Amino acid sequence: MASMATKDARRIVDRRERSLVLGAGSSGLTAAKNLRERGIDVDLVEREAHVGGNWNIEGSTSRVYESTRMISSKPFTQYPDFPMPDAAPDYLHHTHVRAYLERYAAHFGLDQLVELSTSVDRVRPLARGFDVELTGPDGVPHTRRYGRLVVANGHNWSPKWPSYPGQDTFSGELLHAAGYRSGDQLAGRRVVIVGAGNTGCDIAVEAAHRATATVHSTRRAYWYAPKYAFGRPADQVSDLIFALRLPTRLTQTLFQATARLVVGRHERYGLPRPDHRFLETHPIVNQQLLYHVGHGAITPKPDVARFEGDEVVFADGSRVGADLVVFATGYRIRFPFLPDGLIPGGARPRLLRNVLHPERTDLAVIGLIQPDSGQFALVHWQSVLLASFLDLDARDPAAARDYLRAAGRHLDDRSQAGIDLVDSTRHLVEVEHAAYARDLEADLAELARRLAAVAA
Amino acid sequence: MTGHTVTTPPRRLLPRPGGVRGEKVQRRLDWSFPPPPVARELLEVRPAAPVHGRPPLLCVHGAGMGAWAFERWLPAAAEAGWHAVAVSLRGHGGSEVPERFTTTTLRHYEHDVLQAITELPAPPVLVGHSLGAVVVQRVLERYRSAPAGVLLSPPPPDHGLALLGALARHDPVTLLRGALGLTTRPRPRTLVGPATPVEQAVALAERVGPEPAAAALQVTLPRRAPVIRTPVLVISGGADRIVPPATAARTARLLGTRAHLYRGLGHSLLLEVGWEDVLRHVLAWLEVQVGARPTP
Repeated sequence: MASMATKDARRIVDRRERSLVLGAGSSGLTAAKNLRERGIDVDLVEREAHVGGNWNIEGSTSRVYESTRMISSKPFTQYPDFPMPDAAPDYLHHTHVRAYLERYAAHFGLDQLVELSTSVDRVRPLARGFDVELTGPDGVPHTRRYGRLVVANGHNWSPKWPSYPGQDTFSGELLHAAGYRSGDQLAGRRVVIVGAGNTGCDIAVEAAHRATATVHSTRRAYWYAPKYAFGRPADQVSDLIFALRLPTRLTQTLFQATARLVVGRHERYGLPRPDHRFLETHPIVNQQLLYHVGHGAITPKPDVARFEGDEVVFADGSRVGADLVVFATGYRIRFPFLPDGLIPGGARPRLLRNVLHPERTDLAVIGLIQPDSGQFALVHWQSVLLASFLDLDARDPAAARDYLRAAGRHLDDRSQAGIDLVDSTRHLVEVEHAAYARDLEADLAELARRLAAVAA
Repeated sequence: MTGHTVTTPPRRLLPRPGGVRGEKVQRRLDWSFPPPPVARELLEVRPAAPVHGRPPLLCVHGAGMGAWAFERWLPAAAEAGWHAVAVSLRGHGGSEVPERFTTTTLRHYEHDVLQAITELPAPPVLVGHSLGAVVVQRVLERYRSAPAGVLLSPPPPDHGLALLGALARHDPVTLLRGALGLTTRPRPRTLVGPATPVEQAVALAERVGPEPAAAALQVTLPRRAPVIRTPVLVISGGADRIVPPATAARTARLLGTRAHLYRGLGHSLLLEVGWEDVLRHVLAWLEVQVGARPTP
């Protein structure tokens, strides 16, 4: 036993001068690019055979389906220094998002850097740095010692299954949206979709075209935001309301008035009236759902109460027969390769700006946000924040620690713009994009000041 | 033949007004009113013998011109082993004229340059002339991956009020017509230095097209100066009648570097007699700055 340990120790490859970026999806790519740009040496590993993460539909943990399209328009989604092409439409199809990420990787030379088909099996934290056990394309496990770890493994891949009475004895098929790929899975069947996230609504719309009967069950009544308002991408219009920086209540009232104007009253479609104010749940952007409800192609129902044989019974006592139930009930945040407790906060990670570890300067997470808008742009700035912080750490470790201490004061400020979010696991890492952008800008200015002070 | 002088280096990097600034994260105008898409003209000359690790050059022309402004530079730079590209900003050269061209501002041009950048295989060196140099300054703040920037006849990052004075002195008719919002062509002599024959100046002036008043005004009026960390080279003409030598020197000083002033050259140093000297200077500087190291 002891001899084996010595043998293992001898085989550890020393990469202490480098940082490991774990995952080459939309977050890992921009993290590697921005760190390298600030002179930080990085390695980049990706478990799949291609970059793109969730957007690489061939990937084993990709959760995109054939009809996946962006729900935020280009200006909010693109990396600010690498815009999506003018030729692309307002909302890109997932194949185009993947092509965009591949072009980003090629432009910044990340395709030369990334080690594909390389998975991280386990991470052992040291006093400073980490021992990382990896398996490369040859299938041989090996260990490398890294000075820093940047986790970008995504948070929309591990399915969150609900549990209802009678679920185990349901005679139809149960499917989590994670396993949903195309409308063919719905064709000619009686389908119940559970959950009104953007995925649930997409699948319900797809089912309206393909299934023999479509029932959409939602736990509560939501606000459905349109993709277009006044002939323009709705997020470009709504950002004007955010820009006013009005009191939260007034902002919500303005949004609700706009929704009434553009979409109309939900009750008119036979849907219940939303039980919360606008912005208090993650926005659902779908212009087709209400259309199909209005045409009778989708039957809205409240929460599922239980399953009985081939029937689904809802909270209002009504029941429908179903061949397939799709749970679009979301994903869990998981870091299966990290020891428990390394990232503080448990189910709701407690990180500075969702990025920096409050105590360790050698560990950060990138991409762990669910904004009410585009993701890539904000993650780019997360990466710039991390790069600036590591730059400070390289010049003066004491100054970096000092920054962590000072910034720790806003550890529980989650950039939610004073919005009282509905209590749900869905909102664990929710941020309001305008507030988050403002906070990141302030953080970057503060780091720039500290860097200038160190340089002087 | 056109000797050049070097302005005194800045005493120190002056802290900009408002102290040290970070990154511009919030871009509300671009978020809510993204520049409308246009078809852009890219002129491109690839070297017969590419040098490994050299970044491409992306050239941005000045007011009223087009990618054609670099028609002498591109083949010469490619001859020297550089992948040379020039973009025509919207409404210029062979690029599409947008529906509302008159309201085009610098952020639209910034968008055009960024779009051109994404079509290149690696982060390019950004080369800007005159108004194009102002656009490049904005792009350098947003696109930090550029290994270097070259600013030719560049108006300063904060304001170009001196340009109004220079124009009032050398070409008041153009200034007046511009102020009235009339399309105008500069006097041929305004464009070039004394070494260039008058026929060449006339031919050049013939090719210059209209520039939207909004963009031209933006160059001259006070505005937020971009924060630039990229190494830049500043070259200008000692006989420039649009961006006076002292103004180019001010640009250099604000960017923490010195200006190289070519005595006999005017504003169109890309095209007028003596352009080879400027290009040679630029390529020699780039060779030292980025030629040896692989692109990041």
